[in-house]
Amino acid sequence: MNHDPYSWGRPSDSMYGEYNREIANAPTSMEQHTSSSNFNEHTTRPIVTGTSVVAIKYKTGVVIAADNLASYGSLLRFQGVERLHKVGKTTVVGISGDISDMQYLVKVLDQLSMDNNYDNDEYSDNVDELQPSYIFEYLSNLMYHRRSKMNPLWNALVVSGVDSKTGEPFLQYVNLLGVKYASPSIATGFGAHLAVPLLRRLADSEEQAAELTLEEAKKGIRDSMRVLFYRDTRSSKNYSLAIIDKDAGITYDNNVDVEDMSWKFAKDIKGYGTQKV
Amino acid sequence: MMTGQHGSQPIQHQFNPYSDNGGTLLGIAGEDFAILASDTRQSVDYSINTRLSHKIKAISPSLTAEFKAQNPKMIGTKNSILFGTNGFSADGDALTRQFEENWKWYVHDQNKSAMSMQSAARNVQHLLYGKRFFPYYVHTIICGLDEEGKGCLYSFDPVGSYEREQCRVGGAGASLIMPFLDNQVNFKNQYIPGTNSTERRKVDYLSLDECLKLVKDAFTSVTERHITVGDGLEIFIIDKNGVRCEYHDLKKD
Amino acid sequence: MTSVGTGYDLSNSVFSPDGRNFQVEYASKAVENGSTTVGLKCKDGVVFGVEKIITNKLLVPGKNRKIQTIERHIGCCYSGLIPDGKHLVNRGREEAINFKNTYGKPISVSAMSERLSQYVQAYTLYNSVRPFGISTIFGGVLKNENGGNDKPELFMLDPNGSCWGYKGIATGKGRQTAKAELEKLITSEIYDLSAFTARQAVQEVARILYLAHEDNKDKDFELELSWCSLSETDGLHKFVPKDIYEEAIEHAKIEVGLADSDDSDEDEDMEPEAEE
Repeated sequence: MNHDPYSWGRPSDSMYGEYNREIANAPTSMEQHTSSSNFNEHTTRPIVTGTSVVAIKYKTGVVIAADNLASYGSLLRFQGVERLHKVGKTTVVGISGDISDMQYLVKVLDQLSMDNNYDNDEYSDNVDELQPSYIFEYLSNLMYHRRSKMNPLWNALVVSGVDSKTGEPFLQYVNLLGVKYASPSIATGFGAHLAVPLLRRLADSEEQAAELTLEEAKKGIRDSMRVLFYRDTRSSKNYSLAIIDKDAGITYDNNVDVEDMSWKFAKDIKGYGTQKV
Repeated sequence: MMTGQHGSQPIQHQFNPYSDNGGTLLGIAGEDFAILASDTRQSVDYSINTRLSHKIKAISPSLTAEFKAQNPKMIGTKNSILFGTNGFSADGDALTRQFEENWKWYVHDQNKSAMSMQSAARNVQHLLYGKRFFPYYVHTIICGLDEEGKGCLYSFDPVGSYEREQCRVGGAGASLIMPFLDNQVNFKNQYIPGTNSTERRKVDYLSLDECLKLVKDAFTSVTERHITVGDGLEIFIIDKNGVRCEYHDLKKD
Repeated sequence: MTSVGTGYDLSNSVFSPDGRNFQVEYASKAVENGSTTVGLKCKDGVVFGVEKIITNKLLVPGKNRKIQTIERHIGCCYSGLIPDGKHLVNRGREEAINFKNTYGKPISVSAMSERLSQYVQAYTLYNSVRPFGISTIFGGVLKNENGGNDKPELFMLDPNGSCWGYKGIATGKGRQTAKAELEKLITSEIYDLSAFTARQAVQEVARILYLAHEDNKDKDFELELSWCSLSETDGLHKFVPKDIYEEAIEHAKIEVGLADSDDSDEDEDMEPEAEE
């Protein structure tokens, strides 16, 4: 027997041939991660996803909606997933795209509002509430930073709210590339194609949005959610709707259903489904 | 890794960190003024993200109450720098922000009230070339007045190569407008009538009104022919009085 | 002091022959002269009160808050070296974040007490550090829906790292009077933990602080009151609203015989909201 500890537990060379020391020198998973010859393990596609978020400004606030479905490819994986998140007192962030990245963002946002609140309630020295613009600035920096590390958060975010000091409605968008913009109406994903034309009919400019009533805005969002349910296979009937108003604050309903649908046209469509021609 | 074997390389889906957000950026330097203009549409693929985005920022020393009272419409002093980017908007915004920060630190560190155009241009080169192997995907144009008070324009490619010019167009409409500007600003292919195309028309500065007319014509034309250009036109003008900004509607189709 | 000059009082990591750690005992001295601080449990929450001696007329009334929030549902006040307290609160916040990241729900007050006392205790072990010069009173109530049990908890943590749960507790200069009053209260029939409300507790805390101040009458002071209650603040730690605050102060003044009619005892009523 070879008494060198290095040889313990190794098959004898005479029996099995020389031991392949390359096995012992194989990189660990940590080394693999840092070595450039191996492919990186960053996100290259979303897995469980949420579809469109739609939002529009009106006279004294913003209406925003997103359905409650999380899809796994074409599988309707989770129903009852909340994609509108309240941050601080006057902001709602709507998130589409990867759900696990969304959950990370929610954690980050919760921490953000707590950091802001520690010594900052209505009685304390430096009252400076979190404004929608602060939250957007934070998120857009985070999104651009992550894309620049080639490790994006695979989401499109809509930050909506009112500035609690000026009462000004706020609506801005940022996505996984860090591309950001403001507009009187915003929709992500399929909504950008199907909902935005409907919403721009109501308000194509800030001036028009400043004339829009809450009821008109709500109807626009409801119509958008209906059209999206008709045409987006990854959407669900059940959705959440939030209204952020400078006077009424946040009104929030997480159990709205698409209504007034008409599927009459379907009976005339032949060649698909189970019916006999 | 294994070499040469067919199919041994895994197929990699790579994240693409860039997008093209369209739009056009145009600058002209006159004798004692400079203008920088861009459309306000931001788009991606065939979608219009917004009809009102801002691709140009006037970076100015802070305005005194006296200045504001005398020039209520001015948004910057004559020492301002008009900073415009076009291309991938996220990089454009980041570059603008970086430059603005450098500008502020320069002013504090050197105890100056502003940065000269020459220094600004070199600084922008450093910012761009610093990301040579992961570039800012933007065409950058900066405008201002040089140390003699003359209109001044520098244009940059995405990795920082730069040049002082009389005029430049960047972005989606560049190939449509640039030849027009060559002809109208630098009088390229213009000859004195009756000389049988032997004597070139001598270059001369255009007036501000002539320049503004060129800019508006250029943008209305390119709006007709390019899908990512339109919605609105922002024109920043800098001269010895300061910076002002004009807005004009463009077609929204 | 028996310890002075023996050499055993210079370092943390050294016991004296009779088994004492003098540095830690000196830290307690810092607490004994600190401002009086009271914590009291009620039916569905806890109430905190701090006496703030006005050390300088130039300080802005109602500002310079002493009571702090560790987590949304945990309040904290301390007497002794104030910056030590601020540091400990920061540590508490980090622990709260760490707990939430690991377990996905807010930290309970008792778990917080374990973590904070371990941290403070570590500062009694090494000669390179000095113990915390504070006694810390903290507590709150974690709602059922957030993974808690709807039961209020209240602790006091001393410089040596020991931490005990209390129904009511006081520390700082006026602790003797305050503790005596708390004992009286808790053994009386008013104090029935199934019925004693947060508003009642606010009044008692204010009264006790006014009484405890009697020995220190020559100095002006300000009161700071906060609470954390299921019925009043939805389980969040907040400062007591203006109306309830003023009512409690009025009540306290009458109880200790400082009612407004006798104005010989001038400006006892420095309110937080008084203008600067």
